[in-house]
Amino acid sequence: MCCWSVGLVQREIEAAGFSTISLSMMPELTASAAAPRIAAIEHPFGMTLGRPGDVAGQLEVLRATLRAMEELAQPSAVIHLPFEWTSTEKLALGPTEPPPIAKYLVSHPWAFSRFLNRTPPANTG
Amino acid sequence: MESATLTCWPSHMQPTKTIDSYRFVDGIAKKVLKRWAGLPGETQVPWTPLASPLSECTVALVSSAGIALKSDHPFDPDIERRDPWFADPSYRVLPRTVRTGDIQVCHLHINPAFTEQDLNSVLPIERLGELAEMGEIGAAAPSNYSYMGYTLRPERLLRESVPAMVRQLREEHVAIVMLIPV
Repeated sequence: MCCWSVGLVQREIEAAGFSTISLSMMPELTASAAAPRIAAIEHPFGMTLGRPGDVAGQLEVLRATLRAMEELAQPSAVIHLPFEWTSTEKLALGPTEPPPIAKYLVSHPWAFSRFLNRTPPANTG
Repeated sequence: MESATLTCWPSHMQPTKTIDSYRFVDGIAKKVLKRWAGLPGETQVPWTPLASPLSECTVALVSSAGIALKSDHPFDPDIERRDPWFADPSYRVLPRTVRTGDIQVCHLHINPAFTEQDLNSVLPIERLGELAEMGEIGAAAPSNYSYMGYTLRPERLLRESVPAMVRQLREEHVAIVMLIPV
């Protein structure tokens, strides 16, 4: 879900006159928000740059993303970074308790189509 | 989507891989995220060409992980608990001197444990400083930014928080902004 809002924020910052790039695990979703440059990476949620303590790995991902800035010369450019997540270890990527929207949809199943179509009810926030 | 070829990279780094966006998602989340990726949205893509070589650019980072300094006002998770379509639309500034022990994470959709073990797993502030020391970038910006990335109503985030971030990016003469979802 973050991969969508990041594209929206990126688009505004680019429009304000900065060169931007996102490092996205879901490039199609980020691109759907009209993000100008995307480096796509196949890393788990919560470890976008790499594992805790993997200094060399984090540095390589950061370096590759920033170098892509110099190469991606067209709007909507996407590069798929070649980093492999080789571990098959079962990772606890989710939160310790279900997110509020998951609990809400269990008790309001008729609202699922709103969630699926990203059409939230009128703004109360 | 076509992937670009990078002329400045060594051959072993050339992108021959197409990443699988759904490798780490399953069940209903996979169905929803696939659907969202195909929904119509903005089609006008803004473009600011890179004006200088990377080695002369000041770089700032933006994370959607809901990271705040322990010494700062925390993000409010109860906003999302009361209205599950929305999240706290505010943002926090994270100076380039911040280290893992200085931060708290507020994100109700991921396991924050990895960020709490090492901030650089999602916001590589220390790695950015190292690239600046090596001369690969011009400078790490004095300030980086974080907000809560889950929201289905992004209007206040975009209308209130992003313009404030933009003002500070300008004041600090930032050229490149790298955004990092979690």
